[in-house]
Amino acid sequence: MAGVSPLVRLLPVMLIVFVLTLAATGIGSSFMPPERVVAALAGQGSRMDEVIVWTLRLPRVALAILAGAALALAGALLQRVVRNPMASPSVLGITDGAAVGVVLFLWLFSDQANNLTVSIHWQPLAAIAGAAVFGTLVIALASLDRGGSKPLKIILYGIALAALAKAAVTLLIILGPVYRASQALTWLTGSVGAAHWQDVLAVGLALAAVMPVLLLQRLTIRQLVLDPQSAAVTGLSLDRAQVCLLAVAVFLTAIATAHVGAIGFVGLVAPHVARIFHGQFRSGYLVSVALTGSFLVLAADTLARIIAPPLELPAGALTALVGAPLFLYLLVKGRQSHA
Amino acid sequence: MRRTAIALFLALCAAAIFSLHAGLTFYSPHTVFAALMGGEGADALIVTTLRLPRTAIGVVCGASLGLSGLLMQSVTRNPLAEPGLLGVNAGGALFVTFGVTVFGVASLAGIGIAAVLGALAATALVFSISASTGGAGNPATTLLAGFTVAALLASFTQTLLLIDETALETLLFWLSGSFSDRPIGLLQLGLPLLVVGAIGSFFLATPLDVLRLDDASARSVGVNVGVVRLAALGLAALLAAGAVAMAGPVLFLGLVAPHLARRLTDGVLPSTRQLIVLSLLMGALIAVLADILARIIVAPGEAPMSAVLALVGVPMLIHLLHRRKGLAA
Repeated sequence: MAGVSPLVRLLPVMLIVFVLTLAATGIGSSFMPPERVVAALAGQGSRMDEVIVWTLRLPRVALAILAGAALALAGALLQRVVRNPMASPSVLGITDGAAVGVVLFLWLFSDQANNLTVSIHWQPLAAIAGAAVFGTLVIALASLDRGGSKPLKIILYGIALAALAKAAVTLLIILGPVYRASQALTWLTGSVGAAHWQDVLAVGLALAAVMPVLLLQRLTIRQLVLDPQSAAVTGLSLDRAQVCLLAVAVFLTAIATAHVGAIGFVGLVAPHVARIFHGQFRSGYLVSVALTGSFLVLAADTLARIIAPPLELPAGALTALVGAPLFLYLLVKGRQSHA
Repeated sequence: MRRTAIALFLALCAAAIFSLHAGLTFYSPHTVFAALMGGEGADALIVTTLRLPRTAIGVVCGASLGLSGLLMQSVTRNPLAEPGLLGVNAGGALFVTFGVTVFGVASLAGIGIAAVLGALAATALVFSISASTGGAGNPATTLLAGFTVAALLASFTQTLLLIDETALETLLFWLSGSFSDRPIGLLQLGLPLLVVGAIGSFFLATPLDVLRLDDASARSVGVNVGVVRLAALGLAALLAAGAVAMAGPVLFLGLVAPHLARRLTDGVLPSTRQLIVLSLLMGALIAVLADILARIIVAPGEAPMSAVLALVGVPMLIHLLHRRKGLAA
C-alpha cells in the first residue's frame, strides 16, 4: 500500500460520506428513495420533493458535514500542539467557554416575559466571544507561567478553566429561570436539527478561511510530532507555530460550537481513526481527519432521526454511539502503537 | 514533607469538624458536642443523621478518588488521566439507569450495588480491549479505550434517559453526584475498598517509582511492568467504584487532587509513597470543603457538587501552578 497515492487512500472515505449524504437526505419523517433524492438535487424532482430536500434536509446534512470537519480538524491540531493524544476541544475549555457565552447571552438579553430583547442571530457571536475569551485566557495563563513544559501547562490551565466554565454554566442555569435553562440545555447537547443555509455558509466560510493557513503550515504540523528538541533542530520555531495552530483550533471550535452546540467526541476520536485508517505521516492526513469528522456527525444525526421516531434525539448524544464501536474495532484490529 | 502531611491532616480535621456545624442553621460547638455524645432533639438528629454521614462519606469518597487519580496518572504517565477514564462513572451510571428503568430499583442500597457492578464491568471491558490491542504495555491505548468506552456507555445512558423522562427525574439526584442524603450504611461498601486500595498502593509504591522511567529502563531493573500496571489500574478501579457507589459520579476531584499533592511537596521529585499520603489527604480535604460550600452557596438549596468542586479546586490549582515554577508534573 506504500506506493498508493493519497487520493486513492481517501477515495473509500469520500465514497462513504457521499453515499451517507444521499441516504441522510432521503431519510426523515417522509422517506424518499435515492432516485427521487437525486432527481430533486438535479432540479428534476417534484415540487414537494425539491422543497423538502433543499430547505429542510440539505442544510442539515451540509451543516453536519462541515461542523464535523471543523471539530475534527480542531482536535487534530490540538493533539499535535499540546502533544497529548487525549487533547480535544472540550478538554481545553474552548467548548465550555462557548457555552458560557451562550448562557450569559440568554441571561442578559431576556426580559421579564422570557422573550429575547435582541435577535437570536446574535447567539453565535456570543458563543464565539466566549470561546475566544477562554481560549485566549488558557494561552495567556500558560505563557505567563514560565518554566515547566508548555504543552503540559496549556493542558492543566485548559482543564482548570473548562471546569470553571462548566461550574459557571451550571450555576447560571440554576439561578436563571427554567425557560432559559431548557433552552440552554438543548443547545449544550449539540444538535444540527435547526440548520439554515446561513449556518452552513458561516461554517463553510470559516473552513475556507483556515484552509490557506493549514496548507502553509502542513510541514509544521508534521514536525510537531517530534519531541521539542528534534523539532527545533529541523528548523521549527516552536512557540510561533504552536500559538498559530492553537489559534486556528480555537477559531474552528468556536465557529462549529456556535452553530451546532457542544457536540463532543468527534474532535478526540476522528484524528485517531484517521491515523489508523490513513497514516498520520502521509500527505492528505488532515483531509482524512476532516472526512472522518464529517462522517461521524452525519451518521450520528441520521441515527438520531431514526432511532426513536417521532422523537428526534440531539446528534451530540449519539456521536459516541457511532464513533466508539468504529474506533474500538480499529484499535483492536490495528494493533499499532498509539503513543 | 512530614510537616506538609501533618498540616493537611490538621486542615482536614478542622474542615470535618466545621462541616458538622455549618449548614442551613449554624450550631454552636456545645450543641454539636452534646449531639455526638448521644443528645436528643431535632438539632441532635440533624447533626447525627444528616451532617455526620455526609461528612464521613465526603472524607472516604474524596480520599478514594484522590488516590485513584494518582494511580491512574502515574501508571499511564499522562497528566490528563482520571478515574472516570476507566469507564467507572459511565459504567456505574448505565447500570443504575438500567436498574431503575427496567428493573424498577428504588432503594439507595440497590443503586449503590448496581453502581459498583457497573463500574467494575466497564473497567473489565476497558482492560480486555486494551489487552487485545497489545496489552497493558501501552498506557495511551488504555486511556483511549477507556475514554471511548466511557463515551459509548454515556451515550447509551443519555439515550435511555431522553426516551424515559420519568427515570430522569428519579435519577437526577444520583447522576449529579453529591454527598448529601446518602445512608451511612454505604460506608460498609466504600471504607473496605479504600483500605484495600491504600494498603495495596503502598505495596506498589516502589515499583511505581521505577515506572516513572520509560518501560525499558523499568524492566532492566527487574520490575514486571505489565503486572505492576495492571495491579495499579485494578486498585484505581476499585477505589473509584467505591466512590461512585457512595456519591454517584463525582468529576474533577480525582484529576485535581494528585496535581495539588504533587505541587505541595518540597522535594524536586517526591516519592510515590509521599504522594499517596498527600493525595489521600488532599482528596478528602477538597471533598469536605466543597461539601460545606455546596450547602451555603445557594442556600436554602443545594448547589451541584461538580460546580462547587470546580469553584474550590480551580483557584487552588491555578495558585499552586503559579507558586511552584520550573517543575513539570
